[in-house]
Amino acid sequence: MKEIFLVLVPTLTIVPTAIAAAFAMRKISYTAIEGMTRQPEAAPQLFTAMIVAMALVEALVIYCLVIALMVAAKI
Amino acid sequence: MASITVGDPLSEIVQHYLSYIIIFNFTLVAVVLVVLGIVATHRKLEDVPDPIQNVAEFALEWFVRRAKAIHPDGVTVIAPFLASLFLFILFSNLLAAVSFPLIRIPPTSYYGGTLTLALIAVFGTTFISVKFVGALGAIKHLFWPNPLQLVTKISDILSLSLRLFGNIGGEFLVVLLVVKAAPYGIPLVIHTLGLIPAFIQPLVFTLLTSNFLAEAVHTDKKKAEVDTQTSPPFSAVAEGKGAHGS
Repeated sequence: MKEIFLVLVPTLTIVPTAIAAAFAMRKISYTAIEGMTRQPEAAPQLFTAMIVAMALVEALVIYCLVIALMVAAKI
Repeated sequence: MASITVGDPLSEIVQHYLSYIIIFNFTLVAVVLVVLGIVATHRKLEDVPDPIQNVAEFALEWFVRRAKAIHPDGVTVIAPFLASLFLFILFSNLLAAVSFPLIRIPPTSYYGGTLTLALIAVFGTTFISVKFVGALGAIKHLFWPNPLQLVTKISDILSLSLRLFGNIGGEFLVVLLVVKAAPYGIPLVIHTLGLIPAFIQPLVFTLLTSNFLAEAVHTDKKKAEVDTQTSPPFSAVAEGKGAHGS
């Protein structure tokens, strides 16, 4: 029983977070690319802002990944 | 983080000598960068640059532009700081592509290595801000306008180090697991995909460090000057677009 939980907990930690982050990143990249195609002159600034925003979203997934690794290391 | 070395044939040795391997690989990267720097500066510079000089000048100009956007007087201090962080992390990540035992372990795929880099970035930010706003200004920035800025510094260290570790270490772990399951062919694809975060993560690290630096050296007078110098293109573009009626 304990082993089942040790397998399930990291999986259930990382999967919903990854789905949520995928939706957030979709929104960010959609808006950024739309802006770049409308105003190619502003593309470098938008690209930089997009990378930073994606990094901030990604950090949350990374926190969950670290927690999942810490739980998984106890198997 | 014991599970990082799952499936590695050298996992016992790696676990035992982990700190030495990280230090050795960091030193190797530093030596390579010093040699590259000497090669890049001790050659005849042409008016019409050849490809190597072109790449070097492009990289230099990018950092100088970032540094100028942060503080107009700070090019000689800020640009080398950002550039050395970027190149050091980039070359550390690229060690994963070298197929030589022990050297192929990127030091940024262990939390000790990334925590060191994040500490350097955040403390370096504070020390550089001393040069521009003075020691009292730098200390004041930690408590004013919000006393929780000190806590923000700690969370900056955590987020910078965990982001780099998660990306590079996670990719390294995926490669190790895939190699265990399918030793031929498929790991090449994973390695190639791993080159993307290896280039993106140093960029993110440097951009976030420069954002922290811009906050730390920020004074109202200087900020107004920078705004008038750098931001017109965006509004000008918007107005120009409206004028054409498209």
